[in-house]
Amino acid sequence: MLAGRKGGVVVSRPQAVRADLEQVFRSAYPRVVAVAARVLGSRSEAEDVAQEVFLTFGRSAVPAGEALGWLSVAAAHTALNHLRSGRRRAVREVAARDSVTSVPDVADAVVTLDERRRVRAALARLPRKQAVALVLRHSGLSYAEVAAALDLSPGSVGTTVRRAEIALREELNRHASSE
Amino acid sequence: MRHPNDGTLRRLLDEPAGVADADRAHVAGCPQCRAGLAAAQRDAAVATEALSGDLTAHVDAGWQRLSTAVATRERPRKAPARRWRIRSPLVAAIGVAALLAGASAAAAGDWLQIFRTERIAPVTAPEADLIKIPELDEFGELTPIEPIQIRQVTDAAAAAKATGLTVPRVTDLPKGVSGEPTYHVGARASALFTYSAERAEQTARAKGHTLPPPPPGLDGSQFRLTAGPGLAAMWGEGRPTPGLVVVRAVTPTAYSTGVPFGTARDYLLSLPILPANVAAQLKNFSAEGTTLPLFMSVEHMKSTATEVGGVPATLLTSRDRTMAAVLWLDGTVVTAVAGPLSGDEVLAVARGMGPR
Repeated sequence: MLAGRKGGVVVSRPQAVRADLEQVFRSAYPRVVAVAARVLGSRSEAEDVAQEVFLTFGRSAVPAGEALGWLSVAAAHTALNHLRSGRRRAVREVAARDSVTSVPDVADAVVTLDERRRVRAALARLPRKQAVALVLRHSGLSYAEVAAALDLSPGSVGTTVRRAEIALREELNRHASSE
Repeated sequence: MRHPNDGTLRRLLDEPAGVADADRAHVAGCPQCRAGLAAAQRDAAVATEALSGDLTAHVDAGWQRLSTAVATRERPRKAPARRWRIRSPLVAAIGVAALLAGASAAAAGDWLQIFRTERIAPVTAPEADLIKIPELDEFGELTPIEPIQIRQVTDAAAAAKATGLTVPRVTDLPKGVSGEPTYHVGARASALFTYSAERAEQTARAKGHTLPPPPPGLDGSQFRLTAGPGLAAMWGEGRPTPGLVVVRAVTPTAYSTGVPFGTARDYLLSLPILPANVAAQLKNFSAEGTTLPLFMSVEHMKSTATEVGGVPATLLTSRDRTMAAVLWLDGTVVTAVAGPLSGDEVLAVARGMGPR
């Protein structure tokens, strides 16, 4: 009944590790790392997230055919959770840097490390559904896959992604123009 | 014709085949839509750039790390699959004061009731933090008085007789679940917990903390924790996970020989070994000791307030949508419906159940 480790009444989750773990890992690991890296902007952090996600997957009963979609969504959520926990720090760093750096325009800015921090802060501020849709879409999932993952109609995926992109651009612009 | 919305324009960039012919034709001939499309393209390009970076992964190194982690974490499978069990958890958190299992009021004698379940509320935290919550036996001695024993009985009537509880009748089974359930019962379970300042100090030291001095009277205080009896009806017993489980049980109560609930609770919540976010949520619970926390990992579960038959209920759904549960309290009895189902399905079972 509960997935958490502690609780009043617990129906335990399966403890055994699934037999197809290595096979799924080898085919899906690059995708899972890439999803997390888009959020975190750091490969080592992304690999930590991927480990976490595969550990959970290893004990799950997710059907093999749905594994890639499940893992991608889990990677996006877990990476965004990591962002949230580090959000205060990220926002503070952005605030500190805003006062000393000069960013001429958004397109140039995105390549800088500084910009990475802004992207992280912007992603952390987006509504969760928008952030996940944005990251999954930019990780190559189709509209149908994103729709299934987020319980959206394929028609509204475009709207959700578009809103996220506008919000992201505005966040980046806001910082760029507040110099 | 009406202009296609922003979402359609956005999809046109990625999956033109997914956009209706009429919309595509309209955009081609409409300056306003073409401008909208160009804006969408610019924003998409900014996002692509913003979300780029070093995306390579080292598969072999990753697999090596994962297999080590799996091997270290893997615990021996617990013999015979006990589908539900009562833990001694929260207790740790609200510490001593809290919960599970226990002696009846009659057996309590001069015991003072310090906790009774009147409400169930989720406490959500990252799984990593939940794992950090200390177990009760890290604060003292936990001695079972009436150990948890669960056995199968022949039918609903036997389950009712063994527990004194009304067995919920499920009329409409969700899709994919069929047949007759098996019934399992557990008698009341109870345990005695003795707080040990020395043990608590050792636990804290092992984690690199120093504890503030305990309030007078806490060291050596005894707490009696009780829960049950309870029953469970399970469908699809032969499968790795049951298709549907309905559980009903008498909720936990705790008794103390002296230290008031508030004193123990405030002390335990002040300890540095509880994750701060967990402690903060527990602090919001009423000081009277009537809220049973339900620990949930934010990564896996989310909870929603709902109702079943006019009674407030909590719906839990796993984020991977593989599992849902709904639970509600009626007096001192908690009922839960759970399974590898959707939230709507468990709610339909719960709401269609007779007699509640």
